[in-house]
Amino acid sequence: MSTNSISRALDNRKFLVFALLAPVLAFFIVFNTIPTLWLLGLSFHKFSLISGTPPEFFGIRNFQDIFFNKNNIWGDLRRTFLFVVVGVSIQTVLGVLLGFLFWGSKDMPGRRVALTLLFTPMVLTPIATGTFFRFIYDPTFGALNFLLSGLFGTGVIDFLGNPSIAYWAVLAVDCWMWTPFMTLMTLAALGSVPKAELEAAEIDRLSWPQRVSMVIWHHGKFILMLGILLRTIDAFKTLDLIIPMTKGGPGQTTRLVAVELNKQSFESFNMGWSSAVSVLLLLISIAMTSIFIYILNRRRKAG
Amino acid sequence: MTVDSGRRAGSGLIMPRRTLLKGSAALGLSGLVSAPFINRLHAQESHPLAGQKIEMNILGIAGWLPSSLGVKMSPMFADFAKEKYGYDVTFGFAEAPFADLFQKAATSLATKSQEYNIIISDSQWLGALAKPGWILKLNDIIAKNKNLQLDWYSDTVVNTYMKYPDGGEDIWGLPQEGDTKALYVRKDLVEDPKEQEAFQAKYGMKLPSTFEDYENLNAEDYEKVMEFFTRPDQGLWGAAWQYSRVYDFCTCPQLSIMWSRGGDIWDPKTGQVEGILNTEDNAKAMELYKSWLKYMPPGATNYGIAEEIDVWTQGKVATCLQWAAVGLAMITPENKDKVLVVPPPKFGKGEEAKRVYCMGGQPWVLNAYNDDAKMRVAIDFLNWWYQPETTLEYAKRGGNPTDKATLSNPDFDSINPWNRAYKFMLEPGRSRDFWHHPRYSEMLAVQQEGFTSYMTGSTESAKQALDYIACQQQQILYDDGFASAGPSDACSAASL
Amino acid sequence: MPQRLRTTLYYAALWLVSLIFFAPVAWIILSSFKTRNDILATPPKLIFSPTFENYVDLFTRSTFMLQLINSVFLSLAAVILAVFVSFLAAFCFSRFKPKGTDFLMFLLLSIRMLPGPAVIMPVYLMYVAFGWKDNHIGLIFFYAMFSIPFSVWILKGFLDGVSTRFDETGRVNGGSWFHVIFKVVLPQVKPGLIAAFIFNLIFVWNEFLFNFIIGGVSTQNIPYALAVGAYADGGLNWTFIATLTSIYIVPPVLFIYFFQKYLLVGMTFGTVRGEV
Repeated sequence: MSTNSISRALDNRKFLVFALLAPVLAFFIVFNTIPTLWLLGLSFHKFSLISGTPPEFFGIRNFQDIFFNKNNIWGDLRRTFLFVVVGVSIQTVLGVLLGFLFWGSKDMPGRRVALTLLFTPMVLTPIATGTFFRFIYDPTFGALNFLLSGLFGTGVIDFLGNPSIAYWAVLAVDCWMWTPFMTLMTLAALGSVPKAELEAAEIDRLSWPQRVSMVIWHHGKFILMLGILLRTIDAFKTLDLIIPMTKGGPGQTTRLVAVELNKQSFESFNMGWSSAVSVLLLLISIAMTSIFIYILNRRRKAG
Repeated sequence: MTVDSGRRAGSGLIMPRRTLLKGSAALGLSGLVSAPFINRLHAQESHPLAGQKIEMNILGIAGWLPSSLGVKMSPMFADFAKEKYGYDVTFGFAEAPFADLFQKAATSLATKSQEYNIIISDSQWLGALAKPGWILKLNDIIAKNKNLQLDWYSDTVVNTYMKYPDGGEDIWGLPQEGDTKALYVRKDLVEDPKEQEAFQAKYGMKLPSTFEDYENLNAEDYEKVMEFFTRPDQGLWGAAWQYSRVYDFCTCPQLSIMWSRGGDIWDPKTGQVEGILNTEDNAKAMELYKSWLKYMPPGATNYGIAEEIDVWTQGKVATCLQWAAVGLAMITPENKDKVLVVPPPKFGKGEEAKRVYCMGGQPWVLNAYNDDAKMRVAIDFLNWWYQPETTLEYAKRGGNPTDKATLSNPDFDSINPWNRAYKFMLEPGRSRDFWHHPRYSEMLAVQQEGFTSYMTGSTESAKQALDYIACQQQQILYDDGFASAGPSDACSAASL
Repeated sequence: MPQRLRTTLYYAALWLVSLIFFAPVAWIILSSFKTRNDILATPPKLIFSPTFENYVDLFTRSTFMLQLINSVFLSLAAVILAVFVSFLAAFCFSRFKPKGTDFLMFLLLSIRMLPGPAVIMPVYLMYVAFGWKDNHIGLIFFYAMFSIPFSVWILKGFLDGVSTRFDETGRVNGGSWFHVIFKVVLPQVKPGLIAAFIFNLIFVWNEFLFNFIIGGVSTQNIPYALAVGAYADGGLNWTFIATLTSIYIVPPVLFIYFFQKYLLVGMTFGTVRGEV
């Protein structure tokens, strides 16, 4: 190749790279970079949309207030972390279990229908799920209380009104919605294990735990970890399920950080304070994602 | 795109209830369909908009009957405007539920948008809408329009729906729906001789069964009624009151009890909350309200307006404290002969006993960014709304007007079953509204958290919950610059 | 226990699990054929005389068609746009590995990490400043932005799995880059495209908050209708919620039934090319 054509190709290539990336970059700058900078700027201001006055520079007052637990923001974060850890753990354990069971049922009659039924909860509109679960949980009209009383003779349980139960009742709905997702990820992970290696393991008469640890885990862990990462991110953001069910109540028992943020930003219109909280949340989620991606990459390299 | 104003609002549930109104038709109030009072009008006046076509949008509260009534009656205004002013107007309707309507209105108005020209606001939002200049100040308009200079039924109406700041002269809204608390009572139960006999035997007093009985009933005796009808084995409970975390549901009855017992919630002049709200007496009011949960169906801590309607219409409760505005939903074709609507109980003993309940209801407010044509139509619309004929038609359809002329009409009490109780509660001193301050939604949110936290037992002591609320509200008002004093040192220990 | 019986029991148990997960949805669908009084009956009714009135009521609502059309239009337009631009970007990341690829991929994920109100608040203020509120294009672009990160991630995985020899062969044979990208490579990552499409579609299809805040009267979708229409005459409108939910869940359920294979392959992020 002549030097001329190489440089032409390079030019061409540079242009191509740019042309291919341009649309996504444009989206990214307009809908992510600019708003994020806006958010960052506002977080140092006192600004309420309903005060009728322009933003007033506030220094780090908002962050100081966060540190000193204004509006009980640390309580919200604590509840949210518990929600993420317990919720994602339950969903992962149950989801992986179901995934293995369905994996072994390739010849099951109506398997595709059964899986579709299983996956339905995660495509249900969350706003409707929340509203209807409030009804299902209702002590007077709800089906669940009727069922439990009939089967186990429990008295009437006020799932969403009792502060020691409400949090777990909401968490249970989240698990109902998202365990199927982890099942889906497990099935995908198991599908990524090469058949030849599985057959070899069978010929070598490896026991099930050995097969899992030596063959399946090796190939499937990346996808499973991705599933856990996606669930962690989404559980951290839980909002539209809670709003129709409890609106954060009773008291503050189900007030997750997204619920409080929604209230502060779009009910009270405290844009300055909300920006500061958002910046904090952004830092937390970047940290969480970095840890996950670090683990993923390390495992991938090690494997 | 917007909704036809002539659509059937909400669900098909409203239609059958129209049968209710047949009773009122017999009272000589009927026959007032739109046509007669249009014909009455003479030749068209000259109007700057004559010959034009205008599209107006109303934002109202989703599923709230008085809001949808306002909308359903708007075609009558279209006929009226065509006839009298010579322009064509069509109405679109957008809606959001109570808890979200302010959010919907504010996010739109902040863009100086004309998306909604006329808004049905909840009374407490007046300050938050007025302060940033989103809605039009009405003083001048009222001064120029004779039709808008009405004689309102009581000062309560003016203070609740029109003025901000409290005690000032600025007017920002005009009443669309008047609303007070009322007690809905199962007539078939309280009039049952067997029940009356058993009640007499058990408590040594007559079972209150008439409007007058309830007018004189105090909370102590009301508690007996609740206790008497609490029969879980029969699927019947004594009462349903609101305790829910959503919007202002727990706040309204709780503040009513505090006020009726002589307590207060803040000083609207200085913005002082601490020391006024968190008193031992108000804590007692909370303890009392919580103790009533035992007369209510399980799950009552989640009751709001809608849940109350469900348990009431399904016949699960003997009494229900509910807004007068949802009468049409509370009284269905199935139970219409079994309902008595009366004033809610007084608090205190003997002559001293009094009742001060929360006001409900909504004013009309006008988008300040309306262009001249839309503003003109909006003002024409208000002029039409307060015509005696329109007001009467509104009442007949189940709405609650607020002007003295309509309410003083001797036939008014019998138009709807709740009218008498509504009018009774609208008398001076029997009802009041809480804050109209722009930081209303924030103050409400902490209050709702505090109240429900105590009601559900996640905070042990009422005083502790009150301290938390008072400190938080003091901080909010101080941050806003409205309160001269910040929270006291004691507040560092306040938590739920 | 004979093998046959064991298998039968195993399958029965799996079916039972699926049905338990489906039960609340079934309850909603059942409720959509009940009258209000049947829904509120105690004890809850399993046997009742079905009514279609709720469906008739729903279809005669004047806003229903607008909301449905908006739902379909917004989700399709946003997701197709997102998957298309994501494919281009993923191709670039996978083939040319420009400087900062990893960092950019990470930044892309960051918009998915924030809770909805935190994302929408600055966007709302921006839309207010630029006058983009209550506008279909404004919403579509925003939804597309929200769908891009996941799409880029899935598609890059799949593109990494497509050998560069295909590109080279195409180029050597005189094909333009356009030809290579769309005619040679694109068909090979079909499962990734479909998986990205479905997952993002489900998100936009069910999205409420953004529509409520940066949308307006003209852009309202069905989740908006569910939130707003939940109340009627002061009471909860159970028949409406049940009926609308039952209708609205049909398209996504059909998608997961017909494209199940692709979903499973798609979620392997390109590590598998065949059937799962």
